[in-house]
Amino acid sequence: MTIRHHPRDETLLELAAGSLPPGPALVIRSHLEACEECRRRIAELEVVGGALLEALPPTSLAPESLAEALAAIDREDAPRLPLRPRSAATPPDGDLVLPAALQDCTVGNWRFLGPGMRWSRVALPEAPEANLMLLRIGPGRRLPEHGHVGTEYTQVLRGSFSDWRGCYRAGDLMEADSEIDHHSVVETEGECICLVALEGQLRLRGWVGRLFGPLLGF
Amino acid sequence: MHAASEGFPNEFDQRAGGERPALLTLSTLGGAMPAADELNRLVVAVAQRRDRQAFALLFKHFAPRLKTFLMRRALPADVAEEVAQEAMLAVWHKAASFDPLLAGAATWIFTIARNLWIDRQRRARLPDRLPDLSEEPEATPSAEALLIVAEREAALRRAIAALSEEQATVLQLSFFAEQPHAEIARTLGIPLGTVKSRVRLAVARLRGLLEGGI
Repeated sequence: MTIRHHPRDETLLELAAGSLPPGPALVIRSHLEACEECRRRIAELEVVGGALLEALPPTSLAPESLAEALAAIDREDAPRLPLRPRSAATPPDGDLVLPAALQDCTVGNWRFLGPGMRWSRVALPEAPEANLMLLRIGPGRRLPEHGHVGTEYTQVLRGSFSDWRGCYRAGDLMEADSEIDHHSVVETEGECICLVALEGQLRLRGWVGRLFGPLLGF
Repeated sequence: MHAASEGFPNEFDQRAGGERPALLTLSTLGGAMPAADELNRLVVAVAQRRDRQAFALLFKHFAPRLKTFLMRRALPADVAEEVAQEAMLAVWHKAASFDPLLAGAATWIFTIARNLWIDRQRRARLPDRLPDLSEEPEATPSAEALLIVAEREAALRRAIAALSEEQATVLQLSFFAEQPHAEIARTLGIPLGTVKSRVRLAVARLRGLLEGGI
C-alpha cells in the first residue's frame, strides 16, 4: 500500500502532545496503523516532548512523596489490576476490517444518507459527543461542493476518492480546513469507505453539516 | 547503585535543586543534568533488578518536572502532584516495557505522563478505565545501543536550542498548553493559521537540523 497523503506536522504534534481531541486522534491513530512513515514521525515528535519535559523547571513535591511512592511499590509489586479485555469494534459489514484504534467504540448500522451514500455513527465511550462516523459512498458518486467549519479528518479505509488536490486511496489521510477547502468536489472511483472526524461542535454549514444535521439531531 | 541508601526517603528534598547532588554522584560528566544514557540505565536497572535506588533517582529527577508539566496542563498543584506520582509508579510497573532503542527515558516518561493526562480527561466521563499494562518485556539492550539513542536525543536537544525564539515558543506552547493551537493564537495574539504555519516551520527546521547533523 503506497500512502501519499499524510497528516500535517502540526496535527501529529498535537497527537504527540496529547491535545488532539478524541475523535480526530482516533482517525490519526487509524492512519498510523497503516503508515510506517508517520509512526516514525510521531516517535520523533515524542522525543521533542521528552526533551521539553527535561528542560522544564522542577516544582517541589511534598517531602514525603517519594516515601509514599516506595511504599506503594511495596504494596503492589506484583502484577496489579487484571487487564480488562478490550473488545474489537464490530463493523457494520462482515467483511470490513476496522482499524484497531476503534476498539471499544460502538459502530452503528449503515443508515441511508442519500442516493448511494450511507453512514454509520462511531461512538467513543469516553467522548460520546465526538463527531465521528464511517461514510460509505457508492461508485461514481459526486458529493456536493462543500466547505468545512472546523478541520475535517478523513482516513480512507477502502476504495478511493478525489478532490481538486488529488486522489485519496486506502491508507491515505485527508485533512481539510475551512480556509482551504471551500470548493472541494469529492468523487469516488469505486465504492469508498472512510472514517471521518469533524473537529469541534458540528454547526449547520458545509455538506456534512447539511447532510448530517437532521440525522444527528443538531 | 545496589546498596540500600541509608535514611533515603527522608532525605528527599526538592528545594533549590536539592535532587542534584545525588544524581551527580552517578555522573562522570559533572554537568547539572544527568546524562540521558544514565537515565536510560536507571530505567533498565528498575526493569531488570527492581532497583529501588535507581527508581528513587528517577523519581527525584522526573517527578518535579512532571509536576510542572501537569500544572501547565491546567491541573491544580495537588492533582498535578498526584498524577506525577502515579506516572512514576507506572514507570516502576512498566519498566520492563521500556525499550531504549525506541526512545530514551525522558521521552518514554513523557508519553506515560501524557497518556495518564489523557486518561484523566476521559475518566471524568468514564469511571472504570483501567491502565494499559499490556506491553511485553524487552530483551537487554547493549551499552552501545543505549549510547546511540542517547546521542540521537542529545542531537534533538541541540536542534531545539538552535530554533529561533519564535519557533521555540510555539513548540513549547504546543506541548504545554491544553488546546495548543487555539490557545497559542490567543496567547500570542496572532491568527490560528499563523500558529499552524509556525509549528510546521519549527518541525521542518528540527528535521532539517537533525538530518544535517547540526
